[in-house]
Amino acid sequence: MDFQLTEEQQMLQDTVARLVRDSYGFEQREQFYRSEAGFSRAFWQQLGELGLTGVPFAEAHGGFGGSGVDSLLIMTELGRGLCLEPYLQSQIHAGGLLQQLGGAEQRKRLLPVVIAGELQLAVALEEPQSHYHLHHVQTRAVRVEGGWELCGRKAVVIGGHSAGLLLVSARTHGEARDEQGISLFLVDARASGLSRRVYPTIDGPKACELYLDRVLVGDGDLLGEPGQALPALRYQQGRAIAAQCAEAIGSMEEACRLTLDYLKTRQQFGTPIGKFQALQHRMVDMRTELELATPMAILAACVADEADSEERSRRLAAAKFIIVHAGRFIAEQAIQLHGGIGMTWEYSLAHHAKRLVMLGHQLGDDDHHLEAYAQLLKTA
Amino acid sequence: MDINYTAEEFAFRDQVRAFLSAELPADIAERVRLGKHLGKEDHLRWQRLLNARGWYAANWPVEFGGTGWSVVQKHIFEEECAAFGAPRLISFGVNMVAPVIIKFGTPEQKARYLPRILDGRDWWCQGYSEPGAGSDLASLKTRAVRDGDHYVVSGQKTWTTLGQHANRIFCLVRTDPAAQPQRGISFLLIDMSTPGIGVRPIITLDGEHEVNEVFFDNVRVPVANRVGEENQGWTCAKYLLTHERTGQAGIGPSKAALAHLKQVAAREGRLDDPLLRAQIAEVEMQLMAIEVSTLRILAAAQAGGVPGAESSILKIKGSEIRQAISHLLRKVVGPYALPFLEEELSPAFAGAPLHADYSAGPASQYFNLRKLSIYGGSNEIQKNIVSKMILDL
Amino acid sequence: MKILVAVKRVVDYNVKVRVKADGSGVDLANVKMAMNPFCEIAVEEAVRLKEKGIASEIVAVSVGPAAAQEQLRTALALGADRAILIESDEELGSLAVAKLLKAVVDKEQSQLVILGKQAIDSDNNQTGQMLGALTGYAQGTFASKVEIAGDQINVTREIDGGLQTVALKLPAIVTTDLRLNEPRYASLPNIMKAKKKPLETLTPDALGVSTASTVKTLKVEAPATRSAGIIVKSVAELVEKLKNEAKVI
Repeated sequence: MDFQLTEEQQMLQDTVARLVRDSYGFEQREQFYRSEAGFSRAFWQQLGELGLTGVPFAEAHGGFGGSGVDSLLIMTELGRGLCLEPYLQSQIHAGGLLQQLGGAEQRKRLLPVVIAGELQLAVALEEPQSHYHLHHVQTRAVRVEGGWELCGRKAVVIGGHSAGLLLVSARTHGEARDEQGISLFLVDARASGLSRRVYPTIDGPKACELYLDRVLVGDGDLLGEPGQALPALRYQQGRAIAAQCAEAIGSMEEACRLTLDYLKTRQQFGTPIGKFQALQHRMVDMRTELELATPMAILAACVADEADSEERSRRLAAAKFIIVHAGRFIAEQAIQLHGGIGMTWEYSLAHHAKRLVMLGHQLGDDDHHLEAYAQLLKTA
Repeated sequence: MDINYTAEEFAFRDQVRAFLSAELPADIAERVRLGKHLGKEDHLRWQRLLNARGWYAANWPVEFGGTGWSVVQKHIFEEECAAFGAPRLISFGVNMVAPVIIKFGTPEQKARYLPRILDGRDWWCQGYSEPGAGSDLASLKTRAVRDGDHYVVSGQKTWTTLGQHANRIFCLVRTDPAAQPQRGISFLLIDMSTPGIGVRPIITLDGEHEVNEVFFDNVRVPVANRVGEENQGWTCAKYLLTHERTGQAGIGPSKAALAHLKQVAAREGRLDDPLLRAQIAEVEMQLMAIEVSTLRILAAAQAGGVPGAESSILKIKGSEIRQAISHLLRKVVGPYALPFLEEELSPAFAGAPLHADYSAGPASQYFNLRKLSIYGGSNEIQKNIVSKMILDL
Repeated sequence: MKILVAVKRVVDYNVKVRVKADGSGVDLANVKMAMNPFCEIAVEEAVRLKEKGIASEIVAVSVGPAAAQEQLRTALALGADRAILIESDEELGSLAVAKLLKAVVDKEQSQLVILGKQAIDSDNNQTGQMLGALTGYAQGTFASKVEIAGDQINVTREIDGGLQTVALKLPAIVTTDLRLNEPRYASLPNIMKAKKKPLETLTPDALGVSTASTVKTLKVEAPATRSAGIIVKSVAELVEKLKNEAKVI
């Protein structure tokens, strides 16, 4: 057993932490949020220059060959700074799918530019009716000469507005909820017949709806075998969940820090409000949630890159469930302990609270993962 | 024991329902149901309709234009209004400052202000909280210094709800800095157009402009605008707080929100999810408990008792339940809680929604409703009240 | 030209330190440690000189516990070529550190030594100067600009109320001020390369240096907590308070 970071991991953490601290003050984040891209292209470029965009990719493809723990270190710091860049969606989730399902030619063509941070990817898996179920796919891909024709709609594609290439799940055969018959396609953002409606999400990053109206893609744009994408979609969602849990930890730590500072400085009834036992215990409860969420994020990071198994799925579902609950508790209590000031846009705490609550609306909410765990429950 | 309304009360309810069916504007009701923003004009339209029926000032004595309703009638009225999707009344004028003026005001003040509240000429806001005086309201520092027949007011108020619409503000100000905190406070009525008043918006985490900071820089207020005796403002404040605490549980709004939650869950195809059903059932049972609890307190009040610290319990549980419903509604819309579509929430929006008419509101509303357990005496302060007044701890 | 850079392991500047209950020092248990920020500036300056082709080798040196290897690795990741740790678990004063550095300077025969002007933990601001005295090298302290021309080095110093530029004849010692440069981030490839760079461990004994101290820390105290600010209503009140309460005018 060893919960220590290696020297290299320590340095990686220091680098990301300093980078975020220097570039992502709350005022700067506001500017990035209000910019056209909705994030900082300069910061993204810097992630590329420092090699950080290559961390989750195998060395064989020119990546750093980082472990889940390396991704955890990066995501935690990005979470602490409430960073708006689609690192999770592009490098971990979509990048993982490309690496897992892509053929030799696709990898050779795309991975170097993705690893360098020059091409952003996004995953378009959710649909208006799918409610986190990866196999609820109604978007259709029909075989045509030399390729496929896609029709349908993809919902709430985070980072989809800035991605050059979108990974779109579509049904090549079967019915709306069949597990078989789901394929994954690379769709160029400029493809004819593809339209996007872009909007900000309530916790900051931009997203879009994707409307596919007879979008033609070539044979070379199918990732993996036709109809066989679901296991990879599930596996890579697990990696994305681990990264999301790590991001949440950074945000929770910051929310707890800000709240503790406030309890020590805010005076009412002639004393710092942190002297009131009711509030002390609430702060202890927040800290306790964080204390239990952190090891679950570490657990998720450690199993994220393991071979697929029921045990891996169980642990990732458990991590997500625990962290969605902890995130909501910490968000709500942090606001409550702050009072009105915790609800104001100009204070970073409010944005951490939004981030922590909205975690549950991406990659499955607590109920979704509770059901998943219950399905896999060992009963003997 | 009989937990049912009397025949007369049922008849009254039918009367209210008939009125609401006929008069409540459908567009306003829809905005309320979907958790969208209401404009100033929405509120004023509804107030005028109620006033035309003589039902706007439900809590006032008949002689000033009130209804003379019993507490049970008021409860029925509030519940039916919420069920039909009527906007919650902006209480600062009609249900906060007016009762204080009626109880402590001079005949001139009553004649001057009450009619203007009824017909909507005056929109009042509340100048209580300050940056350094939130839960500890009595530590407020805004000063009013006597200068002939005027007070000169300087200081800052905050969390002033809808102050941007208001032409008048009632304020607690310190008139005797040497006295004990509660003793040196006076209650002033101030015209917002007086020179020296500045209003700055506070944008909340849901992007909404609902609250403000109000600055006073040597604002001259006639002494005739003081309600009650000088340095006796705390008495007015306490009296007002008892009014603020009626209808604390928010049973009507919670019931309406719960009905909406079930409709949305059905439309999202989520009602067959046993986990979700169980969570909706749980909040419905809690709501049932607090509803009967409210009726019990109302019955006691009807019989001449004064609602006491029990209203604090209602406020705590009522706000928790309303927040729990908003949490579930947010969950039910799934990924579509994420898009932050401010234009869809605005009163003027008439386009096609991104997903469904109900999906833009839930996340914003969930975050906005965190205020329920903070304002009007935070839930922690309510617990202090229960601990002191009921438990004698 | 060979450059020696001194690197100190200190509590990370973002950490709010807690004084131990017995007042003997600062509680270091589970506290994040990092390279002293002034030392980061020193490393950065050395790396820039190497990138300009002026320096041929950069040797990072640290005096401290075995864990100070972490800070040396960071220096290597930032661009130093090799590192030397003089391992000691004792709390060493500035003079002892200066003597140890002198021994390394003699051993390495470096032309230029760059140090931070002070460490953020002890705030002594004397190791560089002491090393100057021990070696007899020219010294340019509080540098905000460093230029090398032949065997001469021009150092612009931040002094009270202005700047002073001095020319030093090499070999020399430079201590860095805050505005000298903006240290870079350790990139991932460089972090990985740092792993393979040599790191030598020495002891004070091996260098033949006695580290016995003549200074003892008696007590460490946390700063007094700031009392809450107040808002004054008028200039007259401000003047009154400054005069009668703060007694500053």
